[in-house]
Amino acid sequence: MSRLEIRELVIDVPERRSGQALSLSIEPGQVWGVLGPNGAGKTTLLHTLAGLRAPRAGQVLVDGRPLAALGRRQVARTLGLVFQDRQDGFPATVRETALIGRHPWLSAWQMEGGEDLQLAEAALARLDVDHLAERLVSTLSGGERQRLAIATVLTQAPQIWLADEPTNHLDLHHQTAVMALLAEQAAEGRAVMMCLHDLNLAARWCDHLLLLYPDGEACWGPRDAMLVPAALEALYGQRLATAEIDGAPVFVPVR
Amino acid sequence: MPRRSLWPPLAALALVGLAALLFSVTVGSAALSLADVWAVVRGEGSPLARTLILELRVPRSLAAFAVGGLLAVAGALMQVLLRNPLADPYVLGLSGGASVGALAAMLAGLGGAVITGSAFAGAFLSTLLVFGLAHGTGSWTPSRLLLTGVVVAAGWGAVITLMLALSPAERLPGMLYWLMGDLSYSRTPWPPLALLLLICLLLMPLGRSLNVMARGPLQAAALGVNVRPLEWTIYLVASALTAMAVTTAGSIGFVGLVVPHMLRLVLGNDQRLILPACALAGGTLLVLADTLARTLIAPEQLPVGVITALLGVPTFLYLLYRSR
Amino acid sequence: MVMTISTPAERPSSVSISASNGRFGGALGPAVFSGASLALALLGPGVGEARAEALCATDDRSREICLEAPATRIAALSPGATELVYAAGAGEKVVAVVAYSDYPPEAQEVQSVGSHTRMDLEALVTLNPDLVIGWMTGNPPEQLETIEALGIPVFYIEPRDFESVSSAVERLALLADTREEGDRVAAEFRDGMAALAGRYADAEPISVFYQVWDEPLMTINDEHLIGKVLTLCGGVNVFGELSRLVPRIDDESVLAADPEAILAGGMGEENRQWLTHWEQYPGLTAVAQDNLYFVPPSLIQRPTPRLLEGSRLFCEKLDRARDKR
Repeated sequence: MSRLEIRELVIDVPERRSGQALSLSIEPGQVWGVLGPNGAGKTTLLHTLAGLRAPRAGQVLVDGRPLAALGRRQVARTLGLVFQDRQDGFPATVRETALIGRHPWLSAWQMEGGEDLQLAEAALARLDVDHLAERLVSTLSGGERQRLAIATVLTQAPQIWLADEPTNHLDLHHQTAVMALLAEQAAEGRAVMMCLHDLNLAARWCDHLLLLYPDGEACWGPRDAMLVPAALEALYGQRLATAEIDGAPVFVPVR
Repeated sequence: MPRRSLWPPLAALALVGLAALLFSVTVGSAALSLADVWAVVRGEGSPLARTLILELRVPRSLAAFAVGGLLAVAGALMQVLLRNPLADPYVLGLSGGASVGALAAMLAGLGGAVITGSAFAGAFLSTLLVFGLAHGTGSWTPSRLLLTGVVVAAGWGAVITLMLALSPAERLPGMLYWLMGDLSYSRTPWPPLALLLLICLLLMPLGRSLNVMARGPLQAAALGVNVRPLEWTIYLVASALTAMAVTTAGSIGFVGLVVPHMLRLVLGNDQRLILPACALAGGTLLVLADTLARTLIAPEQLPVGVITALLGVPTFLYLLYRSR
Repeated sequence: MVMTISTPAERPSSVSISASNGRFGGALGPAVFSGASLALALLGPGVGEARAEALCATDDRSREICLEAPATRIAALSPGATELVYAAGAGEKVVAVVAYSDYPPEAQEVQSVGSHTRMDLEALVTLNPDLVIGWMTGNPPEQLETIEALGIPVFYIEPRDFESVSSAVERLALLADTREEGDRVAAEFRDGMAALAGRYADAEPISVFYQVWDEPLMTINDEHLIGKVLTLCGGVNVFGELSRLVPRIDDESVLAADPEAILAGGMGEENRQWLTHWEQYPGLTAVAQDNLYFVPPSLIQRPTPRLLEGSRLFCEKLDRARDKR
């Protein structure tokens, strides 16, 4: 059974009159990359898949059950979302922030226990922010906040990861580390879908790609079938030079 | 914050609250010694001392405690919903709406529970106005929120002035205190105390959801919170708290602003701790403020709203300055 | 918006009953008015004497208040009430007053229990009064109810006409067991007012504007006690038909009404500044004929026996205006 199945889904992008219906299945172990220019609807797609906004048409199935029929709590136990934007409400420490990932797993009267704390500490260590645990989030750099956001979802421990530009603000080392983490999650039987702007990260770490065009058209399939230079140039309206390093394609924008 | 038990700070606050209540009962324009108070507590003492303490001071202090707690919890809840520490039932016009509702019921010659119900309707209408207008399509910037709140509050102020101007003379003395909160007029403290306790119990299981809500509705939804029902619960609860506070003592300002702010500085932002702490600390603050109000220039009595405003306005300006 | 309404306590000279009604724009509550006068009418003259030996009297809320023994410690919760209690001969029994209780002068020596809108109940209870004189439209009903709940009888007064002033004095004298003095003062007032009424019954009508307050400009209608004094003296209140007890008006309406005389209270007892304001309108008949008169507000704005003196002054001023015709 597919972890996440998308049936005839049309996402609700304002000011777009029609869009191609998407129908695809994300199986355990797969890493999907969503590529497309700004405003193509990548974030809208992820939010729709997470049930945070309604689709214009079609259906999303989580583990074979319609997303709309599941309670928020049940969805949150299955599906985690790394947001692109985060709102700082009141001051909170890094550890507290990671711990909110346990929210769907605890009953109303339950306090976070030792096990929850261990999960959070492990996630912080995995994302290399454990030394910041006592710091206030508002004092962190952009990259540190990004890693904290991923650590929070890791604490949430979902079977489906939806990540909106997970490498934002990250230096090269941490970009690779985060992609390796997501690949590891897939290798352990979870499903991953992420929006990316970096073609080379997509080419290196994803096994399936979904290309979203600004006019609402889309195409999707296994990575190698999608990484056609002409298609990618059309996607971004940008000429690309292609090279090959260690048997994998590398794309460089050129004038 | 987790792992740390909630009870030590709450127990400490409860002790401080108890001490404030005791203090307020021993202080007044009539000089009573601690020994007199103790005698009354043991069921002895002169009839005068018994009347002063049991009939006048204790009910008034309990009413002050309840009203302070209600307002502080209402403020803390609205701050979570708006993710903005400047939210307060008085600043955002909830108190004004509740006052108008209560005054309208009084002018119509209704009494008792109808006044509270009408006050609730006024507070709820304000809540919807402020949240609806300030939210709009964009985000809640502090300036947008405040402008909305200030305008709504000013509107209610005008309606109150109009109602007072048009109301028959014999109703006026009982109505003036809606303008500047005053505990001189409060009668039985039990309904507000009962509501405070009830709401604290109701909010306890919601505490962690509120923590997540404080990080924004999308994040909260992604972590399994049913955002809409929770928001409506908070609207209703904040309105009910404000309405009860206003029908007991008129519109007292800034308690909902000062108390949560102070507590967050010391205790952090876990709503499971902050909300009951607000109930205790808000009660304590208002008990002390009211003690000042009735003794400072005795026998002349100040409305307690004057004292809280003198504390609240600088706090508010400081927060506003920092939020830029 | 909170601060726009000042309480009477902030404006000392407006503390008297009539002026503070006006301050808050209150129309005379018809129910209260008719209730009180209906009760008086039903019970007939001598209402306070119904059962003298039992020391029972009907207050202006039509409730019968009975005392087991004559009141010995009286708290008067308005400046007007204080005056009435002193007039009833029970001045020595007054143990508590409120702010601005300045007449008679010895009342200023009595302990105050705060302003009439917000009394220090603790201070009041400590003084251990056995009778509290409440002001129906001036004291907060919540506080008066609390006092009654503590077992202290509250006698509400709110004189709305000349007869209820004398009757209030009689009823208070009854409760304080000072009837000799009280009945004498009441009779003096009643007879004095009747004499004035007789003398001016056929006086030539003269149009008058009475100024209660300057900013905002306020007057009174015919229902108001001051309006009744005007009528008594043969004056025709140019704003007498207005529906509100203490209407707010503007200069224009005074110019339009063009009264023959303008009478004004004022801030203090020797203050004519409100009158000089009108001198900028030489076209006003009252100005042209120099009929601008000051009447000390304390004589006219409290419903007490001093009203007789105030009424005489009023009538005298109107006579002077008539003489200039």
